[in-house]
Amino acid sequence: MGTVEYIQHHLTNNHIGEGFWTFNLDTIVVSFLLGALIVFVSARLGKQLETGKPGGFQNFVESILDFVSTNVRDAFPGHNPLIAPLALTIFVWVWLMNFMDLIPVDLLPYLFQLVTGDPHAHLKIVPTTDLNTTLAMAFTVFALIIYYNIKIKGVGGFIKMFLFHPFGKFFIPVNVVMTFIEEVSKPLSLALRLFGNMFAGELVFLLIALIGGTLAVGAAALFWAPLQVLLDLGWLIFHLLVITLQAFIFMVLTIVYLGMAHDEGH
Amino acid sequence: MTESSQEPKKTKAGEAPSPAVNFLLLSAGSIFTSMIVAGFLVGYAFDQLFETTPIFLLLCGLLGFIGGMQKVMKLSSRLDPAPKAEKKDD
Repeated sequence: MGTVEYIQHHLTNNHIGEGFWTFNLDTIVVSFLLGALIVFVSARLGKQLETGKPGGFQNFVESILDFVSTNVRDAFPGHNPLIAPLALTIFVWVWLMNFMDLIPVDLLPYLFQLVTGDPHAHLKIVPTTDLNTTLAMAFTVFALIIYYNIKIKGVGGFIKMFLFHPFGKFFIPVNVVMTFIEEVSKPLSLALRLFGNMFAGELVFLLIALIGGTLAVGAAALFWAPLQVLLDLGWLIFHLLVITLQAFIFMVLTIVYLGMAHDEGH
Repeated sequence: MTESSQEPKKTKAGEAPSPAVNFLLLSAGSIFTSMIVAGFLVGYAFDQLFETTPIFLLLCGLLGFIGGMQKVMKLSSRLDPAPKAEKKDD
């Protein structure tokens, strides 16, 4: 398998169907399993909560809860009991999906090929490197933004926002276009940023994997193999920061956009 | 009582903003760039619709840039109350 085929193989989803009705099975299964993991761990921890002397894992989860609720309290202008749980779910779920990027790129696809017996079976294990996942999450948040805009401001207020924001009543055509652009930019900033960062990160991991995979021939492996380990370790440590930051920015943007929807003056 | 009845938590003059509010600036870059990109996309769609390439592309791109600047300024105004405090001293 050549370099290009290797990269293309790793960036192709295991899918069924054609065209619009293509289902990326690996994306669906992995994201569902990670969601189920969050539910399972939360339910298990909920049953074992200790008030006197909490254990290490409970302390860890409480610190994440505290971090998210502090962010929501300080950055969200209104009071809505849905926002903090939503922000927490987004942060943890996106982080876990991003974390799949840190698993060695060939490990799970290789195991999958062994299990299925198909040496060419595709498996892309990072759901956030699939634009469908990030767009689906972005459109869900966008639907909530529209819902709260209409709920808080009313249908009239929502239309007024398009007509008179931000330049007042004398620039209605400009205001309509401007507000339309603003609304379009919300799902764009949520989906494309996360997808772009994770896709690029995955690609770098693949390129690093290629150093040892295709270039190491004979004695040259003595040089290329340690270099691959060093580069992989460096990128992995840096990427740990990237995946956390991307999950955090997705959460912050959600809070900011929903905050704008709750701001009656907006 | 509506869900938005609570006022945004704003920083008083001279008071250091909460670290969580500082994190808002992390999203400023994304908001700014996505406004410009969305502006060009909307402009491109209008141009395709009315066959006016590249008038709307440029106009909407400019509007996206202005809107992005506005959003970033609004976001950052919650972090920097210092200029008002200086005016009071004068």
